[in-house]
Parts: sequence; structure tokens; C-alpha cells
Amino acid sequence: METYTYVNIFETKGLEYLLLMSFLVLLVLFVRYLREPGGKD
Amino acid sequence: MSRVTTISEQGGFWSFLRSQLRPRGKILTPFNVISVPIILLGLGILVVRFTQGLGSVTNLSQEYPWGFWIGFDVITGVAFAGGAYTITFAVYIMRMEKYHPIVRATVLNGLLAYIFYAGALALDLGRPWNIINPIIGNSFGFNSVLFLVSWHFLLYMLAELLEFSPVVAEWLGARRARRILSAMTLATVIFGVTLSCLHQSGLGALYLMAKPKIHPLWYSEFIPIFFLVSSIFAGLSMVILEGTLSHRVFKDQIDPKKHHSFEDLVIGLAKGAAIAMFVYYFFRALIFLHDKQWTLLRSGWGAWYLLEIIGLVLIPCFMFAYGVRHRSLGIIKTAAVLTLVGIVLNRLNISIIAYNWYLPVRYYPSWQEIVVTMMVVSAEIWVFRWIVLRMPVLREAHELPSDTQEKPERAAAAASL
Repeated sequence: METYTYVNIFETKGLEYLLLMSFLVLLVLFVRYLREPGGKD
Repeated sequence: MSRVTTISEQGGFWSFLRSQLRPRGKILTPFNVISVPIILLGLGILVVRFTQGLGSVTNLSQEYPWGFWIGFDVITGVAFAGGAYTITFAVYIMRMEKYHPIVRATVLNGLLAYIFYAGALALDLGRPWNIINPIIGNSFGFNSVLFLVSWHFLLYMLAELLEFSPVVAEWLGARRARRILSAMTLATVIFGVTLSCLHQSGLGALYLMAKPKIHPLWYSEFIPIFFLVSSIFAGLSMVILEGTLSHRVFKDQIDPKKHHSFEDLVIGLAKGAAIAMFVYYFFRALIFLHDKQWTLLRSGWGAWYLLEIIGLVLIPCFMFAYGVRHRSLGIIKTAAVLTLVGIVLNRLNISIIAYNWYLPVRYYPSWQEIVVTMMVVSAEIWVFRWIVLRMPVLREAHELPSDTQEKPERAAAAASL
């Protein structure tokens, strides 16, 4: 039977969840950056 | 600013057509001097191709049945035409009126891209006369992605022709036809956007069956999604580049009052491209992590992959963002060019470069294949220029002689389309 440790971020897809969550946060920040008053538009 | 000549002013259809066929502007321009020999040479090569077969002018083989004509002309050209569905969606569905002045030029560009680049598909068919089979029902092949792509190409070309037809009606002075065609625009746009989303991803789906042949850094079950998302920023970058060139080349066609608003348009388009690229980059990163491809990066292919993903996606994405924030058109235009290079590289990687990557014998396009591709691009620019110089594409909506007799609200509706 295949075994893995729950703390291994690679085997538990933890890295994928981390990337997805950071993407959502960064997307919000990125869109806000594009809307800054400096950009007026 | 030049104006349109109508049929009634020319005294009949035939004299109008004769006057329109006459060349306008200088004949000996650098573009003409370069493009005419290319077109003539390309036509000569096509004669050989259709009389002697594909093998006589191409380096295609059993291992590489799809070469530069498919990889660049069709797969890349269709991605570049993505601006048409993106802009028509923004203007007619989302009611972003700001982009209205570029709708006609963008639709024309998309229509010509499909006619020339997707039409180039016929050049690559061993038996080109069979191209009609999926349409007439001789072996429909419902399960084939090519069936979907062929029907979508045909229907989308018709949809774009309909979207552009009010301009032709205006050019011909056909007031009634323009009114009818304009009334069909919204339905056609909805139909066209739906088709576009499906066949942009459909082109990617063609490569799903080539899993063992495509390098794992480029193969993914999500290729159709990648193709669709990347066509959004490819199309927007193309609109930025094409709009910039048109502004320079067809200066006299554009109302001087509208020149300043072009900057706002470009910034808006760059913002859309930046967000689409940001999403696309994370899609690719997620797939990369999911497939655990770290070890693949330790090779030449890995460096090539990083060049595409970081150098020609992530960096242009940040350049777009920086350009938007600082209202720098120079940076935005540079980012648009880098993005287009990235799209070319991505499509060629999937269709040619990283395809059969393990074989000792590689495919390189022959000089004839490159000349024919240059011919297709040159011919498209010739037709685009011919139309822009004659029809109200960049000009304000042309007021037809009898428009003033129409009901005001109808006339206003027609002029806005």
C-alpha cells in the first residue's frame, strides 16, 4: 500500500492549495494595483 | 480626414466599383516593394504544391504531418484573431462603449485572419478537395475535434462577415440593408463569442490525442483551457499592436479629435491583457506543480519552458501592469510585442518544437513553407488596407444621403453599430 506522511507538502498536494490561495490573494492585489489612482483608468 | 464616396455620387454601381478598384496613395511604398515579390513567389510555390503534392515544397513527413502552415498560420493566427470576440463581447454584451471606435477595425482584422490563416488549413491537406466533407455530411465524424473545428471556423467566418456587413452596406450606400444587418449584430455577436470560446479551446483539444508525442512540460489535459485563456490576451495584444500601426498608417482616416482617446483605449486593453495573463500564468504554475515536473526543469527543455512562461508571459504581464499604472504607452506596446512572441512560441512549441521531441530527426520548415506563410500575412495586410482605405472602418459612421429621412432613433441605432 502506498504510504505518505501528512506533513509532506509535496505528497499531500499542500503546495497546490498554497498556490491556489496565494493566487486568489495576489489576484485581488494585482487588480487593485491596476486600479490605483496613479492609473486613473 | 477623407470621406466615403457613395454610389449615387458616382452615377451608378459599375462606375462606383471602377472608382473603388483604382489604386489609392503611392504605389512604390516599402511595404509594396517587399510584399509584391513575396506574394508572387508564394503563388508560384502554391502552384507547385497543388500540382506536385505537399512533399515537393514542404519538409513534412510521417513523423511530422503538421508543420509550419498549421503551427503558425492556423494555430497561432487564430489565437491572434481572438481580439475580435473579446472586443465585440466587451462592446455589445458588456456595453463598454469606450471601445466602440475600434470595433469595426477589430472585426475586420478577425474576419481576414480567419479567411487567410484558417483558410491556410486547405494548403496543408493532402487531399484539399475533401475539405468540404465535414460540411456536406460525407463522413461527418461527430467524435472528431476536427469536425468541431471545421464547423466552427465556417460558422464563425459567417458570423464575422455578418458583424462586418453593416460597414459594407454603408459603403455601398444601401440604407435599408444596413438597417436590417445592424439589427442582427447583437445576436450575431452572441453566436460568434460562443463559437470562438469553443473553437479556440477546440484547437488545443486537437493536441489531447498526442499525449505521448508532446513534451510533458507542454502537454496537459488542460491545453484547451490554456488555448482559450491565452487567446484573450493574444487578441488584446494584437489589437494594441494593430491599432498602433493603423493609427500611424491611416492617420488621415481618423477624426483628429479621437486621437487623444486612443491612449485611454490602449490602457484599458492593457489592463484586460494583464489580468488575463496573470490568471493564465497561475493556471500553468498549478498544472506544473500538480504534475510534479521539477526534475524536467534541469534540461534544455526546462530552460526553454521557463523562457516562454517567465520571459514571455510573466514579464510582459508585469510590463502591462506597470504601463497601465504609469500610463506609459511605450512599455505597453513593448509588452504587447513580447506577448505576441510568447504566443507564437507557445503554439509552435506544442505543434512543432516540443512535438516528437525525442526523435533524432527534427522538422524544420522549408524556405517554401516560410515564403507561403509570409505571402498569407502580406495578402491579408493588402486586403485590410484596401478595405480600410475605401470603407468606413476607422472613420466615423458614414451618414447616408437618406439617413436624415429615417426616424431619428432608428438612425441613431444604425449609426452606433
